[in-house]
Amino acid sequence: MHAELLSLGALLLIAGLIARGGRRFGLPTVPCYMAAGILFGPGTPGPVLVESPEDLELLASLGLVLLLFHLGVEFPVEQVLASGRRLFLAAGSYIGLNVTAGLVLGLALGWGAAEALIIAGALGISSSAIVTKLLIELRRLTNAETPVILGIIVIEDLFLAFYLALLHPVLSDAESALELARDMAVSFLFLAMLFALARYGARLIGALIGSREDELLAVLMVGLLLVVAGLAGEVGVSEAIGALMIGLVVSRTEVRDRAERVVLPLRDVFAAVFFVAFGLSIDVADLGPVAVPVVIAATMTLVVNLAAGIVTARLFRFNQRAAANVGLTVLGRGEFSLILATLALAAGLDDRLGPFIALYVLVLAILSPLLASRSYLFARLIPDRLLRSSWRYVREETISTSCAHLDQIVVTDTDVDECRRCVETGDDWVQLRLCTTCGNVACCDDSRNKHATGHYAESSHPIIMTLEPGEDWRYCYVDEQLVREPMTRRGSR
Amino acid sequence: MGQGVHMQELPGIGKRYDIDLGRRDSRVSVVVRRDGTRDLYVFTSRSADPTVIELDEEQARKVSAVLGGTFFEA
Repeated sequence: MHAELLSLGALLLIAGLIARGGRRFGLPTVPCYMAAGILFGPGTPGPVLVESPEDLELLASLGLVLLLFHLGVEFPVEQVLASGRRLFLAAGSYIGLNVTAGLVLGLALGWGAAEALIIAGALGISSSAIVTKLLIELRRLTNAETPVILGIIVIEDLFLAFYLALLHPVLSDAESALELARDMAVSFLFLAMLFALARYGARLIGALIGSREDELLAVLMVGLLLVVAGLAGEVGVSEAIGALMIGLVVSRTEVRDRAERVVLPLRDVFAAVFFVAFGLSIDVADLGPVAVPVVIAATMTLVVNLAAGIVTARLFRFNQRAAANVGLTVLGRGEFSLILATLALAAGLDDRLGPFIALYVLVLAILSPLLASRSYLFARLIPDRLLRSSWRYVREETISTSCAHLDQIVVTDTDVDECRRCVETGDDWVQLRLCTTCGNVACCDDSRNKHATGHYAESSHPIIMTLEPGEDWRYCYVDEQLVREPMTRRGSR
Repeated sequence: MGQGVHMQELPGIGKRYDIDLGRRDSRVSVVVRRDGTRDLYVFTSRSADPTVIELDEEQARKVSAVLGGTFFEA
């Protein structure tokens, strides 16, 4: 026993140190843990700390289950439901584009249909952990596009649950179509039961695990989690879904916040073991042959992400900079890709999936912080005509904060087509601006009299909008910035 | 929310508060992460990028006490 403790401890310590070193260069932790597993595993020349990934099987599956459980617990159901059609469209196009591209590549590789589905998921679903850390590090928490990015990754998590359910029958060894149909029915029945539990049984679960002491909460919660995950595995729905769903159930109980806090350190440790164990299963010699597909996959993901960023920016009327920020921040792949790879390998799919996804995650882990911090370079590449032309002169600026004066917008339309004060003095004007607070129409700053700005000086009404035909923008004098529309209001094109 | 303080949820991170100072040259936003860390974003007209200070809960309490007019004799 002590020998196993020693080797596991040494491996975790090294993995932690590698990850800590990586953090200095802004690298995410997940690929670092995996790299430690690869470097000190049986598939790589040099010191071998753990002979076989099977030695860590139980701990690693604990990590997988805790990862998905935590995802379920922290899932902001209400926020997602309230997030509106535009966000769903943006997330839908992100997921749709990425998963479709992954599927096409998967089929083109010719490793098999089930393998293509795994590749589609592994390439399509980005890592929430990497994205949130990147946003904090790049100091973009107050950017206009940040709530949208976070919304997209949350909806991706939801998609993951359905994707796991969809994948399950494919991974099971069903012999006939009938058996496959039965497997699928069982999967969805079990899911429906858990959904019902989440909807109606949250109080029951809350009463079961809701001790006032954190210690007992942790013990009861992990016990419940393992029972549900194990049962899910037993009836043929994967442990992963069971864990995610029971997490959703717990998220609807009163102990949610404490549960999340208590489970977090457990998740961090055992998830690290899971990533290390995945690394152990990778033979370095296998990475070479998959290098070309990985380069193709990474390039494709980059292109598709930028495209999805532009779609999102169009939906939310963001500028080029925000489009590039969206596309490049959501580039990171990590835990979900590795979970899918693990499930695939456990189901006995093509062996090349492991090294392929491992290398892909490593490549994107290095690329995504590098590219995201240089998104302004990509912003220059995005042609104006893809986004709204009237935003042109802010193309490289970030709309860095949402304006705090949107509640003062009262008037957005007028019949007045002249600057009355200019008419009184017999002057000309270039363009007209409408004060959105009181409806005053006045001439712009390119005009001689600058009556709109004068009106602001007199009245402190903060926001004007252009009345120029074909243009559509608003400007806030107080914040000195162009104002985007509030996210909740639907845009009228 | 109080007058001129605008709150927005950041799913997976925490809550963001924009505080309207009523001036055109500066603005303050605070992000309260769920682990208790506060990110203080200060925007001034001098630079397009904000100055960001990361405070843990203890530091945030100190700053807020002083800002709130609690004077320490030490």
